[in-house]
Amino acid sequence: MFDRGRRNAVDGSELSGGDSRMTDFTIRWPDESAERVESAKGRLDVARGRLIARGFDDVLGVLGQVFELWRDPGSSWRRRLLDEHPDASGFSRENVEAGLGLALEHWTGDALRRAIESERRGLLAGTGRSLVPFASTSVILGGAIPMPSLLQPLIPLALLSPVLVKPSSRDTLTSRLLAESIAAVDPEIGRAIEVVTFPSDDIASLDSFLAAECVVASGSDETIGSLRGRMRQTQRFVAYGHRISIAVVEAGMAMREPDGLARALSLDIALWDQLGCLSPVAVYVVGEGASRATPVLAAALASELELRSTELPRGAIPTEVGVAIRIERDSAALRSASGEAVQIHAGAGTSWTVIAEADALARSCPLHRFIRVHPVPSADSLEPAVKPLIRSLSSIALAVEAGPGTDLKARVSRLGASRLCRPGRLQAPPIDWPHDGRPILAPLARIQMGTDERR
Amino acid sequence: MSSPTGLADRQDERARLDREVLDWIAEPVWKQDDARFEQLAREIFAFQFANCAAYGRFCVGRATAPASIASWREIPAVPTGAFKELALRCFPAAQTLKTFRTSGTTGQSRGELHLDTLELYEASLLASLRALLFPDRRAHERFDLRILAPDADDAPDSSLSHMFAVLVAELGAGDSGFDVQRGELDLSQLIDALTAAEKRSRPIALCGTAFAFVHLLDALDAGGLRFLCVPGSRVMETGGFKGRSRELTRHDLHARLEDRLGIPERRIVNQYGMTELGSQFYDSVLVDPSGPRRKLGPPWAQVRIIDPETGRDAAPGEIGGVVIHDLANTGSIAAIQTADLGRLVIDDSGRAIGFEIVGRDPAAEARGCSIAADEMLSTGRS
Repeated sequence: MFDRGRRNAVDGSELSGGDSRMTDFTIRWPDESAERVESAKGRLDVARGRLIARGFDDVLGVLGQVFELWRDPGSSWRRRLLDEHPDASGFSRENVEAGLGLALEHWTGDALRRAIESERRGLLAGTGRSLVPFASTSVILGGAIPMPSLLQPLIPLALLSPVLVKPSSRDTLTSRLLAESIAAVDPEIGRAIEVVTFPSDDIASLDSFLAAECVVASGSDETIGSLRGRMRQTQRFVAYGHRISIAVVEAGMAMREPDGLARALSLDIALWDQLGCLSPVAVYVVGEGASRATPVLAAALASELELRSTELPRGAIPTEVGVAIRIERDSAALRSASGEAVQIHAGAGTSWTVIAEADALARSCPLHRFIRVHPVPSADSLEPAVKPLIRSLSSIALAVEAGPGTDLKARVSRLGASRLCRPGRLQAPPIDWPHDGRPILAPLARIQMGTDERR
Repeated sequence: MSSPTGLADRQDERARLDREVLDWIAEPVWKQDDARFEQLAREIFAFQFANCAAYGRFCVGRATAPASIASWREIPAVPTGAFKELALRCFPAAQTLKTFRTSGTTGQSRGELHLDTLELYEASLLASLRALLFPDRRAHERFDLRILAPDADDAPDSSLSHMFAVLVAELGAGDSGFDVQRGELDLSQLIDALTAAEKRSRPIALCGTAFAFVHLLDALDAGGLRFLCVPGSRVMETGGFKGRSRELTRHDLHARLEDRLGIPERRIVNQYGMTELGSQFYDSVLVDPSGPRRKLGPPWAQVRIIDPETGRDAAPGEIGGVVIHDLANTGSIAAIQTADLGRLVIDDSGRAIGFEIVGRDPAAEARGCSIAADEMLSTGRS
């Protein structure tokens, strides 16, 4: 790209001064982005040999050190993310800080090593099996939450596959900082990760980017569908599409411990402004007394979300989301006015909303700290209530009393979520959490029989 | 339960309000009359507050009552989505004469507008069509109208089909008719009509859903057909594409229509309306060809753009939620909060001269007459 100042792009002549549209003239090569992608791929091809020569244990050790760097709140990488991510992503600084702190709490270098070694041992169990890395892996990141951007590019590297990363338009920072931090710990391994950006409608760049043996993509179902259509049959395509999470609370617990539960659930909702696949979109209060417990828990949740609005302020929202929140609040108010046992709790402006519903009917959730609390009269009724969400279900925060006489936990475990946790921990998945039900390593490597693993 | 006397009083009051609005609609020249709108809006609010129990309690929940408001702008609006869950009407259910339903696929809930009379509904839609789609029409002149939508027999609960039926009956010439039958666009019939109009040098008006026009354009493209509709011809399209198999920008749709039909973009009008409303809005191009394209409506239907954070009017020119206050909605609720985003169009003196739609709440379900028609057409093809 050449900055040609105020010169005509065709013949280089000086432009007249009167036309403001013609100032700051710039020449862009039409295939500039595609060339950058090709160049990055070329560098990765060179780096691949060295990466493989370093071997699995060595590379994993380096990646463990990188993780430890990121866990340190005083590290320059973490501080830069904290300084720059809020403006780029729209999250408040407090939210980013708390979200990173919680998620990285248990993402230690040792945990990474244990998770990868454990799964690798399982994959290699048997005679003559080997894991063969893909020649290269392209990773398309989605959304604005930094955690997937920290983890997804690392796993192919751990398998000795060089990684080309396209960050999400809402977070171009995290993957770049990750690459820099790897290079700082080990420049040679740092050369095996490249970050490229290009507009989503730049087909030449996209096709070049997608030419890798393995492509990992996160995004909306629409994005995933579009990418899938561009894949060859011989490629590995690992897709993470639209997912949501929910909370399930036993009615007795909701009556006995509404404040504690609400405190924990408010964290699950407030972190990342409810925009991640681990954010709950609804709370189901299940069991005898659910109709009484639902408004109790909803009121407690409203109090806690009000506190969170100071502790972890919500970021700015698009106008259309504000309109959607207003509409959902008013629709609930009308249902209440028509005699339904619906209660609406709302913060200033559109800052947070809790609707205590009278039934378990699935309704629209505009996110950005908008939650419905539904009564479900019995464990038997839970599955039908959650049915509209099951296809997209990721995780469930579960609050249930231990002991005989309740089969709620068993019922919840059969809903198909890839993770159950206690309230307050939805945004802190363990590093070996099988994202969307998949193991972390297996989708990213080929298993061959009777071959040298390093080849 | 109301006493017969109470019911009679209510009906008298309702009839009086309807007459007031009908008188306004009947005036040959539209005049913006803020005082008249304010007065009628307050009276209709008082009637609806008293006669639609859910709406009355909804307003009380907002600490709003007819006696407490300083301006019609304080009258609470109900979201369009509420029409899916509640029967919002100000008359006994037994008096329901007609129910229009929003489109929706099987299993989806559909919004319903209940009417106990069609007089006001039809008067309002016809007045707007006359003024904003046929402003150049001479007295008693009739047009060749081709309707790219199902007729009212095929879609008895479609407000759009009803509107087109009224239009054809009131303004259509003998060659007018519907070109979507049993879910299929009757291309040969439509092409015959276009050919005939071209041969006879008669202007034609094509009205229908945006996606029906896409089906027409695809067919014309495939057949390499191109028409040169005579000056005076026009297109009115309505509805959107969101969530459909194909999406076109409005500009692209209009450009393709100009290319294939020879009707210039300045004579292609988008209509903005919805089942829950008795009045509609139209692009300004036929009444103000030199001004910016924006939506115009009748003076008895006012538009507010709302800042969702405050619930109050957004600053002029700022984007916000579109709220429509339609005095033709006497039997249901006059103040409707749509799921659309819009902004007022401001002239050089800072005066609002219309509005434009700039998007839609992404959470709103894909719906609308255009989409229903597309489903019918796609089904018909397969």
